[in-house]
Amino acid sequence: MIQINNLSKSFRTELIETQALKNIQLHVTEGEFVALTGPSGSGKSTLLNVLGTLESFDGGDYLLDGQSVKGLSDKALSALRNEKIGFIFQGFNLIKDYSLFDNIELPLRYRGFAAAERKRRVEHALEQVGLAARRDYHPSQLSGGQQQRVAIARAIAGQPRILLADEPTGNLDSLMARQVMELLEQINRDGCTILMVTHDPDQARRAGRQVQIVDGQLSDAAMYDPLQHASPVAVA
Amino acid sequence: MEQFLYYLKVSLKSIRRAPLPYSLTILILSLGLGVFFANATFYYRLNLDPLPHKSDKLFFPFMNLVPYDCQNCEPPNVLSYSNVQKLGATDIPSAKAAMYSADGYLRLTPQQPPMPVKIRLTQPDFFRMFEVPFLHGSVWPDASARAEVILSRQTAEKLFGDTNVVGRSLTLDDFEYTVSAVLADWAMLPRLFDANNNNHLSEVEDIYLPLETGYDRNYLSNSQSSSFQDADYRKLATDGRTKAIHQLQFWVQLDTVEQQQAYRQFMANLTADEKKAGRHPSAINNKLVGMRDIVVHFNKDGGDIKAFALVTLLFLLVCLFNASHLSLNRYLSNQYEISLRRALGASRWHIQQQALADVLLMASITSVAALLIGYSGISLMNELLPANRLFSSWDWTLLLSLLAVTLGCSYLVTLYPSLRASFGALNQQLKE
Repeated sequence: MIQINNLSKSFRTELIETQALKNIQLHVTEGEFVALTGPSGSGKSTLLNVLGTLESFDGGDYLLDGQSVKGLSDKALSALRNEKIGFIFQGFNLIKDYSLFDNIELPLRYRGFAAAERKRRVEHALEQVGLAARRDYHPSQLSGGQQQRVAIARAIAGQPRILLADEPTGNLDSLMARQVMELLEQINRDGCTILMVTHDPDQARRAGRQVQIVDGQLSDAAMYDPLQHASPVAVA
Repeated sequence: MEQFLYYLKVSLKSIRRAPLPYSLTILILSLGLGVFFANATFYYRLNLDPLPHKSDKLFFPFMNLVPYDCQNCEPPNVLSYSNVQKLGATDIPSAKAAMYSADGYLRLTPQQPPMPVKIRLTQPDFFRMFEVPFLHGSVWPDASARAEVILSRQTAEKLFGDTNVVGRSLTLDDFEYTVSAVLADWAMLPRLFDANNNNHLSEVEDIYLPLETGYDRNYLSNSQSSSFQDADYRKLATDGRTKAIHQLQFWVQLDTVEQQQAYRQFMANLTADEKKAGRHPSAINNKLVGMRDIVVHFNKDGGDIKAFALVTLLFLLVCLFNASHLSLNRYLSNQYEISLRRALGASRWHIQQQALADVLLMASITSVAALLIGYSGISLMNELLPANRLFSSWDWTLLLSLLAVTLGCSYLVTLYPSLRASFGALNQQLKE
C-alpha cells in the first residue's frame, strides 16, 4: 500500500542544510499497524508528514497504492489527503469555537458529500469514539482524552485507508492514553492501516511492527519486509 | 450554494474571533471608497454625454473673424450677429441655432411682484438640436422676432399654477408676450450647448424668447459679451446686428462626415472671401468643435475636479494598502485554521473559495459604509461648491459601478493575504 524508495528530505536555512531523512526504504501493506519510533529529532515526524503529503521530499519516491505522489498537483494531493488519509495530531488540532459535529464534519465538507451523508458519517464516527451524546459540545468542554477521541473521529469519519498518528497520546495521562490506544487498535482491526509516531516503548510494542528511525535513517530491523514475514497485529 | 453558505459561516466565525482588526479593515476601506465615491459621482456626472446618440453630430464653428489683427489669437468664444449670419448662410447643416442667455423679470399682471427668471434667447432649431421635449404647444414657426415665449414646466406652474397655458399672456420686463409652448421636464446635464464660463454646470433656463426679439428688446448677455471698435454692447437693439458686438453661441448639426467636410470647406471659403474683402485681418484659425470637446475647448474642463479625483484616488490606494495589511494580519492569525483545513483535504482553490466568501461579506458591509460616507462627502461638497449641486445624484449605472469597485477593492485587499495563507507550510503551522 505504501512503498517508499530511497526517500530523502533535507531542511535548508541560509546557513545550514540538515538532512532529515536519508535513503528511507519502507513498505507498508494494507491493514498493518506500524509504530515509528526513535529519539527526538530523528526524523520520525518528518517521515509521517511526508507520508501524509504535508511535506514534500527531495529525492527518491513515494508510492501510495502504486501511484507516485511526486509531481501531483495541489488539487490531487488535497484529494488524496482527504480521501485516503486520516490525521491524528499530538495537539488534537480541533477548532475551538466549532462544535464537535462541525469539527468532525470539516474534512467531509471538502469531499463533496451531501448534508445527509455527512451527518450520518459524523454521527457514526462519534458513536465509534463514544461521544455521540456530545455532538454539540465544544472542544474546551472536553478532557484531553475526549478531545483526542474527537480528533480520531474526525480522522475516521471519511473512512480513510491510512491513519497517520503523530504521538496521539503524547498529551494524555496513562489512563486516557490507554483508551486512545485501544480505540486505534479497534480501528486497525476494522481494516485501517495505521502509522503511529510514538516515544513510548510500551505503545510501540502494541503495534504490529516497529520501525525505528535514527538520524534520519531506518535501523536495520526496520527494513524488514512484512510480505516475507507475516506479523500479527498486537492486541491489548 | 450550501457550501457557499458554509464559507460565509466560517467567515463570520473568523470575524467574531477578532472583530477589532476586521472593523478597522472595513473602516479604512470604507473611508477610502467613500471619498472616492463622492468624487467619482461628480466626475461621472460632469463627463456624462447628455446626448450620446447625437453629440458627435453637433458642432460649434469658431473663426477669427474679428476687426483687429492678431496672428496668434484663438478665435473668440462668442460670435457677433453678422458672423452668425455668415456662418449660417448655407444649407449644409441639418439644423442651426444661435443663442445667448439673459436675465429678466416675469409677472402675470402689472400688479404682481416680478419674478426673476433666466432667459434663453434662441432660434427654433435649438429645440430640435438638443431634443427639448414639449408638453403643450409647439416651437415658433420661424426665426423672426415675435412676442411669444416658451416656458419651462416649472415656470408655467409657478406663474399660472398650471401647465396647459398656451395662448395665455404674461409680462416680461414690461412687455406683454403670449405663451406659445410649455416644455416637459427637461434637465440636460451638463448643458454642453452653453459651456462658456462654466455655464454648463447650471440649470436650464426658465423661459425661451426668439433671438431677434431679444435683440429688438435690448436683452444684454448675462454671460460673455465683447465689443470692438466703436460698438457698445449696451446698444444691442440699435448696433447689435451691424457692429462688432460678440455675444452669441452658434451650433450646427452635421449628421454625416460628408456634411462635416462640406461645412469645413464652407468655413474655409468664407474665411478666404472675408480675407479678400479685408474683413479678416487676423490669422486664419478656423475650428469646428464637437459638443463632447467643447468644455475642453473653453478650457473649463473642471481642473479642480480632476486634481481632486487624483488626490482621492491616491487616498484610496493608501487605504487599500493599509486595509490589505490589516487583512494580512487577520489571515496570518487564522493561518493555523487554514493549514488545518489544507491538511484535512482543502485544496488551495477551496481556500480561495473561502476567501471569495470573505470578499463578498467584506464588500457587502463596505459598500453600505462607503455609500454612507460618500453621501456625506457629496453633501459636504454641495455646501462648499453649490455650482456642483446638480452633479451629485446617483443613478443605477453609477451605483452598480461603485458596487463593482467595492467588490474589486475587497478582492484586492483579500487576494494577497489569502494566497499567502494558502501557501503556508502546513506542518509548521499545525505544530505551533
